[in-house]
Amino acid sequence: MTATVNAPRHAPSPASARQSSLAGMWTLLRFMLRRDRIRTSAWVLAVGLSGFMFATAMTSVYETQEDIEGIATMLGDPVMRMLVGPIFGMDAPTHERVFSAAYVLFIYIPIALFSIFTVVRHTRAEEQSRRAELIRANVVGRHATLTATVLLTTAANLIIAALLYVGVLAAEFGSEGSALIAAGGFVLGMFFTGVAAVTVQLSQSARAASAMAGAVLGLAYLVRMGGDMAEEGGSALSWFSPLAWSQQTAPFVEDRWWPLLISAGFAAVLIWLGFFLSTKRDVEASMFSTRLGRAEAKPSLGTPVGMAGRTLWGGLRGWGVALILTGLMFGSFAQAMMDAADDLPAEMAQMFSGDDIMLGYLAFMGVFIAIFAGAAGVSGLQQLRGEEHQGRAEYAMSAPIGRTTWLGSHLTVLMIGVAVILALAGLGMGLGAAVSLDEDGGEYIGQLLLATVLQIAPVLAIIGIVTTLFGWIPRLANAVGWLLIGFSGFVTTFSGMLDLPDGLIQLSVFSHLAEYPVEDIEWAPVLWLSVIGIIGLVLGLIGWNRREVNRV
Amino acid sequence: MNGTTPVIYAQDLVKEFGPVRALDNLNLNIAPGEVHGYLGPNGAGKSVTMRVLLGLLRPDSGTIRLFGQDPWKDAVELHRRLAYVPGDVELWPNLTGGEVIDMFLRLRSNAGEANFSPKKRDELIERFDLDPRKKTRTYSKGNRQKVALISALAADVDLLLLDEPTAGLDPLMEVVFQEVITEAKTEGKSVLLSSHILAQVEALSDRLSIIRAGHIVESGTLSELRHMTRTTIEVETAQPTTPLHGLSFIHDMHAEGERTVFEVDGDHVGEVMDSLSGLGIRSIVAHPPTLEQLLMRHYGDDLSSRGVSASTTKKVS
Repeated sequence: MTATVNAPRHAPSPASARQSSLAGMWTLLRFMLRRDRIRTSAWVLAVGLSGFMFATAMTSVYETQEDIEGIATMLGDPVMRMLVGPIFGMDAPTHERVFSAAYVLFIYIPIALFSIFTVVRHTRAEEQSRRAELIRANVVGRHATLTATVLLTTAANLIIAALLYVGVLAAEFGSEGSALIAAGGFVLGMFFTGVAAVTVQLSQSARAASAMAGAVLGLAYLVRMGGDMAEEGGSALSWFSPLAWSQQTAPFVEDRWWPLLISAGFAAVLIWLGFFLSTKRDVEASMFSTRLGRAEAKPSLGTPVGMAGRTLWGGLRGWGVALILTGLMFGSFAQAMMDAADDLPAEMAQMFSGDDIMLGYLAFMGVFIAIFAGAAGVSGLQQLRGEEHQGRAEYAMSAPIGRTTWLGSHLTVLMIGVAVILALAGLGMGLGAAVSLDEDGGEYIGQLLLATVLQIAPVLAIIGIVTTLFGWIPRLANAVGWLLIGFSGFVTTFSGMLDLPDGLIQLSVFSHLAEYPVEDIEWAPVLWLSVIGIIGLVLGLIGWNRREVNRV
Repeated sequence: MNGTTPVIYAQDLVKEFGPVRALDNLNLNIAPGEVHGYLGPNGAGKSVTMRVLLGLLRPDSGTIRLFGQDPWKDAVELHRRLAYVPGDVELWPNLTGGEVIDMFLRLRSNAGEANFSPKKRDELIERFDLDPRKKTRTYSKGNRQKVALISALAADVDLLLLDEPTAGLDPLMEVVFQEVITEAKTEGKSVLLSSHILAQVEALSDRLSIIRAGHIVESGTLSELRHMTRTTIEVETAQPTTPLHGLSFIHDMHAEGERTVFEVDGDHVGEVMDSLSGLGIRSIVAHPPTLEQLLMRHYGDDLSSRGVSASTTKKVS
């Protein structure tokens, strides 16, 4: 160190400049671990152990070789491939192969979500709340926060991967395949760490950064759907999806490692890009300068409904665009379903209730769209809770707006928004089907539109239930809302694959409508689900009028 | 509504949050046209009072009336007559400042009635030097506060509820704020002004209340309050001031060079002056207690328990 002794105190050498850009990084990392000790531990344990849970559950559900053959035939169908991924080795199915084919994707998606949420929460969300500037005012280097965040996410993903590996091994599955499944999860997590590291540089809002990274995940899923549906083992299209790079390792069949290199390479490039972009912007700023807006409000903004519209519009627009594209994509697979109907396995007929596999498939996809529309509703109500929490509700209601008007106008906008999203997604599905089908495609447009419009009833029920909680037990509203959505998604996806008890299936509000257009419309469930929803809305309004606002 | 109904009337107001008593038998009275300063340390219950007045919280017991009506039941009707500036202003991040101001003015004007005045709005935007085209997420705390202030002051209302309205404003804007509040006063508006800036309260308030731990410990005009407290006297006399020693209404007596400095209780100033004149006054300076001294008397034990001595804080003025 003699060289530096005589140097001026504050003239850093290149080496120490690199060091100083990371100053405080370990302290920050410890701080993040402290803040995240419950949240991250819960995610890591839940996702890490889900491998063991799925593996042991399926081993006990499919006891005999006959059971295995049965599920393998089912997985051979294009619709199932759309849901779960490319299928490998179903000519000689085993427990481990069926596990890898049908369940691993549902472990991978939470890993991607976890990585996105963690990166956004520690970077852009901190900047948006202006806590970052408090941190950066200390002896903290330019790259310290992002580095600590990437290290945290990497470490968490490594532990998830280790738990996955051990869990799957414990189910007595092959060692190399188990290692591949774990490694596939890890590189996928790192890929989305990189994606989020870039999107947090692009937008000033944490929500928008999460939404952009989430859109990449959604797109990856859609591309994989199209690619994997086309042929067993995936088609060329599949290879454009980051999800495929982890699934194409074909664990327990071909056990190939090289596809993981693609994810790892992209992850490295994206993380580097995130660091690079972060040097091109100011703290709290985005890559793009904010445009100036209107100096005066349009008259429409001066009404309670106008105010609610501006609050909820951004979120509804995002869900809407995503679901309309999804609808178009689902619809455009219609002809492929017609072709597949020729060699229809018996299990499929059972699952898609009816002879017409194509309409059955579209009705089934309509339910998925409805669950996502329900998610849009829950997310809107979560925003309302945020309005209350952050003090905007009380500020708004200091104007002559009553409680009923405030909540009522937000619910009106939310319900109309969700209904329009459902209708447009149904229309998209109909148009997609009309374009893809060789003959008579046009006649399904109206039917598919009606099918998704009928789904307004269960979505209304969900919104009603969550609104009641918002009025009476606001603390629980968000958690219960997302639980209902997650549960419905789980039941709808797995009701055919796992032997779910009927009582459990009935608990999902999305399990009750007749599968129109493949079945006839049954008005009774439409009616009583709507009644549940309306009663829920009324109860919620009553509670909201009686309770205190933002009581801490 | 006749002129004698108090704008704000609170009697024995109690509000509890679990084990914490946020309002403890609070009494508050504000007459029409009055600017009422509302002083108290952090956490004393100022914001809770505001939120009870807005009908967002419901008191556990006691009576509260705004313009003679119940703020919980008649919220909408009452809110037509008042405007509120929250202490920690959170705005809609995707709206511009101008849009927020207009939104509030329109919501208040009840579908385009005449009392939405763009002229006043524009004038205030100019005086507070706000760029109304910026999205509120890019505003600093001070600018967010300006937005809330402009939308409250441009509204044609009878009562302004201001919760530390200038906490983020610079000194220039502080001057503008005092001007516009004085104008509002001449227009006959009533104001409840919670503040930490003593000079502001001193300059604007007709009356003031000091709240501590949810209870009003002192209320009245500034001169009434001064009367109740001590006057500081610095005097140089021909003869020693020994006759004054040990009197119960004289405090902190000490010598500063030639002069003797002491404090005297407000209602004994006359007596003290009489005895001083017998001692041959060479020079005398008497000053009434500053608002700060008033406050120190009421928060004093709070501070001393935290190890801050009253004399050191007194010098910060």
